[in-house]
Amino acid sequence: MCTKLYAHEMTPTYIELKPSYVDGVSVTTMKLFNRREDVEYYTIEVFTFDWEPIPFASEYKTINIGFNKTKFFDVYIRSNDVDKVVYICTQSKLFKGTDQITLITSRICSKIKDR
Amino acid sequence: MDIKTITALAFLMPATAAMAVDSPITGIVEPKCSIWTETSGVYGHPLPYKLTTTPADGGVIASIRVDIAQADYYKTRFTHPNSFSSSPTLTDAVAWTGQTKVGQVSVSGMSAYEAAKVTYNNVTEFNMTLAGSTWFTVESTAQYGSTKSLPAGNYTALIKAECIAK
Repeated sequence: MCTKLYAHEMTPTYIELKPSYVDGVSVTTMKLFNRREDVEYYTIEVFTFDWEPIPFASEYKTINIGFNKTKFFDVYIRSNDVDKVVYICTQSKLFKGTDQITLITSRICSKIKDR
Repeated sequence: MDIKTITALAFLMPATAAMAVDSPITGIVEPKCSIWTETSGVYGHPLPYKLTTTPADGGVIASIRVDIAQADYYKTRFTHPNSFSSSPTLTDAVAWTGQTKVGQVSVSGMSAYEAAKVTYNNVTEFNMTLAGSTWFTVESTAQYGSTKSLPAGNYTALIKAECIAK
């Protein structure tokens, strides 16, 4: 049973996509803070308003981040898809084969405002 | 104004301007929503065919705290399990039930979240209209093949807690 306090945090709340150095590709920078001692990996996800996944590129699709560490990551999205992007999320990944019987996976989603 | 006063003022003015330049304004962008996993939850095994987080049956209810730093910017969503993420091979169906409820609250107005929650399938959504901390409890029960005995082994099920910007 988990008795310690663990948290998952991500900023900014509202995303702003800007043109990147690559023509036809927009980018935004996100910050992930891992205060979950039981989690080392987070996946990045990009969704439409209806939670349909959108293709994106990033240095990490799965981020390896230590306990109490912060990581900045860029998310690149094709300009054709920029109008469809609503949510950028990070979701905790848990190890299979752990002793715990129920586990909590956390997901935080930032949004493009007014979409 | 005599010449001495004018000279003194001339020396003082640039110095004042330089001090203003050296006054930075700093700020830190803090997260507006944090998900705190306080108690992961444990299934009790009161009957051969049943796993449940009910404390009376030897289980532990999962408790998740959500801290909202700024009111009305986020909604939270909890998904109680409807499958095992790992288990021994199961040859019959598992009937899943569960619920998410508002537990302790840091602001009395948050008690209204319970009545306003939206539930569909195995998902429960709350509109976080107030700043502060809210504790949510997630219960889960799995019943195997009507009353068949569950095979021995390790069982794992996942609860998903989400913070989604509005």
